[in-house]
Amino acid sequence: MNTIVGVSDMKVSNDLDSRIITYSLGSCIGIAIYDSAALVGGIAHFMLPDSNLDKEKAMKKPFMFADTCIPKLFKAAYKLGGKKERMRVVLVGGSQILDQKGFFNIGKRNHMAARKIFWKNKVLIDYEDVGGNSNRTIKLEVKTGRIILKVSGKGESVI
Amino acid sequence: MNSMKSLINEIDKLKPVSHVLNKVMELMNDSQRSSSELSEIIIYDPALTANILKACNSTYFGLKTKIDSIQHAITFLGMEEIANLVLLCGCSDEMLQKQEGYGLREGELWRASVSSAIIARDIAKDNSLNEEHFIFTAALLKDIGKIVLNQYVAGSLERIHELVFDQGYSFIEAEKDIIGIDHAELGAIIARRWQFSNKMVEVIHQHHLSEEPAKNIQETSIVYLSDIICMMMGIGVGSDGLAYNFHKDAFEQLGLTDQDIQIIILNFAEKIEKIEGLIGMS
Repeated sequence: MNTIVGVSDMKVSNDLDSRIITYSLGSCIGIAIYDSAALVGGIAHFMLPDSNLDKEKAMKKPFMFADTCIPKLFKAAYKLGGKKERMRVVLVGGSQILDQKGFFNIGKRNHMAARKIFWKNKVLIDYEDVGGNSNRTIKLEVKTGRIILKVSGKGESVI
Repeated sequence: MNSMKSLINEIDKLKPVSHVLNKVMELMNDSQRSSSELSEIIIYDPALTANILKACNSTYFGLKTKIDSIQHAITFLGMEEIANLVLLCGCSDEMLQKQEGYGLREGELWRASVSSAIIARDIAKDNSLNEEHFIFTAALLKDIGKIVLNQYVAGSLERIHELVFDQGYSFIEAEKDIIGIDHAELGAIIARRWQFSNKMVEVIHQHHLSEEPAKNIQETSIVYLSDIICMMMGIGVGSDGLAYNFHKDAFEQLGLTDQDIQIIILNFAEKIEKIEGLIGMS
């Protein structure tokens, strides 16, 4: 069964038939986590780096921002038996427009925000595919922990 | 390079927008317009009328009163909103289809067009421009050229990607180089054949700001910005990725800061589900 993670959204599952997918990551970041002992995994898809932009809206839509999204993703996985120390973490997205350099570069800021949160919480990122001008889709098979990344112009790969 | 003749044949196969749409666009350019004139244009098209009433009663507007006539709808939502709905309900058939060459699944081109139109209209409102309806329409129709160019892009995608990834071309430059025409130029040809105004033709042609003078036209800059913001959100992004040129000056011309862009994204993301409901994609 395919479970779709929309924009500003998050899904975790321990259903072995489940395949969690998030499509079309532009400057947004997709984070996939998986605990192979508990067979629990999830994907979050956030759009913006920092909830200080609008605290009220962050309360209503916490998956919109890196700092309110990432802790909720992990907590939801813990509820299903996942453990932080066993979690495989994959981070993708954060693309930018051509020649955007530092200007309005939300993709880069999203990436930095996520890295900072992981660093603060002593979580290692196992794999990253970020930046560039590509569009990315990421899928996670809960049963096997297989994570499949599709990058526009570069095809699919298992990571 | 494909001959222009075969492309023109493809344009002729494209279902043109209805006369109602052209009439509504014409009316909205008239400063003396009246709500009864708008209503008169719409009510003789029963399918369009039904779709507009359905949209008016959707959660997007969240009205407590049930809307049961076009005149009623205009009274509640205003002429601008109803004219926009005419566009939303009246020209989506071709845009709803899957665009394989551009890597867009069914409905995605339409979703991107509507999203861009709403963002462009909101930027126009924030800048107190009187051209809201024009900007909405231009943003909605700017990628019409993709429908025809799609099959040519599909056949040339590998070579286009070589130019984009190996030589740093933007996707639109690579289209032009490999196919001989890009989707913005082709969109302008379609718009001209459909007898849109010269101004509309020009904004569609320049929506990626390919030529320097286009940056000085505020309407074109706004349509460009709305497109870029959609790309950042991953809306309507497929095989072209985000490989389009960034024009910092277009942002600066409108006085938009980094924080403003984030607020636009935030406000739009808040209503995305309602918009998908409005266009029947939820």
